[in-house]
Amino acid sequence: MRPILSLALLVATAPQAAPRVPAPAFALAQVQQVPAPGAETSLPPPPPQPSPRPEPMVPETADEAVSPGANARSDSVPARRAPPDASASQEEAAVGSEPESDAAADPEAGAEPAPTVEAEPAPPPPGRDGQAAPPRPDDAPELAADLGSDAPRTTDARQQRLVNGAPLYNPNVSVHIVQKKRFADEGRHELTLYPAAVQVNGKYTNHVGTAAHYTYHLQENFALQVMGQYNWHSNESAFNLELIDKVREQAQAASSLLLVWGAHAGVEVTPLYGKFAFLNNSLAQFSVVLSGGAGIGSTRHLIRPAVTNDVDGESFKVPARFGDTGTKFLGSVGGGFRLQFGESYALRVEVRDLIYTARVDKVDGCNLADFEALEMARSTNQEFSTLNLSGSCRYERFDGVDPKTKKNYREDIILGRDLVSEPSSDVLNNISFYAGFSVLF
Amino acid sequence: MNARTLCVFASLAVSLAAPVSAAQADENVLDHVVVRNRLYEPGGKLELSIGAGLPLQSRLTAHYIFNAGVAYNLFDTFAVEARAGYAASRHTGLARSISESFLGREDKRVTDELQDLWQMNLHGVVGVRWAPIYGKLSLLSDLPAHFQAYAWAGGGLGSFQRSSVIQCTQVVNRELGICDNRTSVDDRGSATQDYWAKESRVAPVASAAVGFRFFILDSHGVRLELRDWIFRDAYRVNLVRDAWESGQTTGEPARSPGLTHLVQFDLGYTFSF
Repeated sequence: MRPILSLALLVATAPQAAPRVPAPAFALAQVQQVPAPGAETSLPPPPPQPSPRPEPMVPETADEAVSPGANARSDSVPARRAPPDASASQEEAAVGSEPESDAAADPEAGAEPAPTVEAEPAPPPPGRDGQAAPPRPDDAPELAADLGSDAPRTTDARQQRLVNGAPLYNPNVSVHIVQKKRFADEGRHELTLYPAAVQVNGKYTNHVGTAAHYTYHLQENFALQVMGQYNWHSNESAFNLELIDKVREQAQAASSLLLVWGAHAGVEVTPLYGKFAFLNNSLAQFSVVLSGGAGIGSTRHLIRPAVTNDVDGESFKVPARFGDTGTKFLGSVGGGFRLQFGESYALRVEVRDLIYTARVDKVDGCNLADFEALEMARSTNQEFSTLNLSGSCRYERFDGVDPKTKKNYREDIILGRDLVSEPSSDVLNNISFYAGFSVLF
Repeated sequence: MNARTLCVFASLAVSLAAPVSAAQADENVLDHVVVRNRLYEPGGKLELSIGAGLPLQSRLTAHYIFNAGVAYNLFDTFAVEARAGYAASRHTGLARSISESFLGREDKRVTDELQDLWQMNLHGVVGVRWAPIYGKLSLLSDLPAHFQAYAWAGGGLGSFQRSSVIQCTQVVNRELGICDNRTSVDDRGSATQDYWAKESRVAPVASAAVGFRFFILDSHGVRLELRDWIFRDAYRVNLVRDAWESGQTTGEPARSPGLTHLVQFDLGYTFSF
């Protein structure tokens, strides 16, 4: 029985041992993974080495004590040298495990060849209670005692405890940024609601709206997106109205075209990601997102601002009137930050430029010839339905009297004609600031 | 089964389970690039900076602001800073277009001056900078960039000048909208003097900004910020054309002129001692 069990054990462990043998560099570059420290680990500190060692180097300043540097790495802590096959990722882990005043130094300067990351060059030393100490993770902090410094000793198990891979309780480490990207995006869906999207470059126009955004993350750094936006406030700017009031000037119709809603689809890339500490207390992970897409948008133009209508000694406030100027092609480019909270929630802060072509030659479907005919009919008090107008002209919008404000809509015909009398075109950039939150699933 | 057999089976189970759990752990590890600790600690250091700002939006005026500053970092997250500089400013093409067309418009005999026409020149401010965020950015998955995100607020004084686009005190050619001493009608650049009404003043200015400072090596840094210069507007209302064209002062100051905002994107360099 014993030979059989031994053989079975050998067979079972052989495939696992296979990757531990030295492999070509290109293969190791793919398989070398630093074991994740887990959500939370509690590790007792390794005991001091019984073997004699040279006189410990006492740092001259407190900074040296806090930042055990190349001296500690090259002389005092030979057992923690990273094996060379750990490649770049292992190098980063080594950098991250020590205070970063040493980051410029090569952590692998004195590394000796070793077959694998998980290789154990020597049996672990016994613990305090005589039992074998658990393996020390690569990103465990250095002990001040090992360095012979005056810095606070971190022999306490609580001080050695890692939280998400970071020595949050180590008094010798000033700030802690988690080392690994903890949340994967690949294959996930993301729904974002932007309660407020505010135009920031409004010279002649002002837009405020709400947007919804769906993203499917095809890969970790690449996603498909669909976005819809409705501007519940779109009007000409106070600056444009000031020009009309004071100097009888106004923007060309195409330059002051208003976007009512837009829908577009495209791609999103996240080329950069980072982490930050807020007041050294909390850690957050963020990504820089860049997006681009194309779609359509509905536009309108101000025909008449809000006015007061005096009829028979009574004043009525007449709201501003807008005319439909059609659906336009829409392009979108943008960039911003995505701040992730846990696996399922994120905040997004972005700036997007909605680019749309603007050519105003029709208002409410009526072109210049239609307005000329309507104006002629208005002066002769003729019925509009008898006119030979273009099929798209919605003449009824310029006919009749509003029962609430007593405003005669026929008075707006001349204003509509002014908009199309000199056809204008422009390419508008509607740059808006978006702030919203996401749910990932 | 005896104890030895159990031990063998236990070893076998552990051997099989270990790589599975390791694989699961590895699935959670996507990258190994962001280093952990704070590399730059500006607390207690003096720093010098220079910067240039471009206008994010220009209506009637455009400003290009050049600044130099000195700051002392009281803590890693808090600093006091003094900045001084000069803003090269001009009227935009829209302002020139308005001035030329309004000169020939006879149907507007009484009007108000336009808002936000003051142009800032020399200025100096003192403020505080609060940088509660210290972060690291992974560039191309290999290169960590350390940065601080900060907010800045302060105030000071600035010198301002204002050139009207409405009040021409000496009309040269009304139809062509000429109000200067140009030698060629079509060449605005040939003018050495214009006759638009001008004002100047020194007034308080406030400034607020948010931005990032990226650390480079030990002493250098690149600063990207969005900065707003705020000062009180002042203009006259109820101006009479006949009065201003005869060189007389007309109208009265606006009662609530509001504030003028100059929003800039500022790119700067910092050196820490």
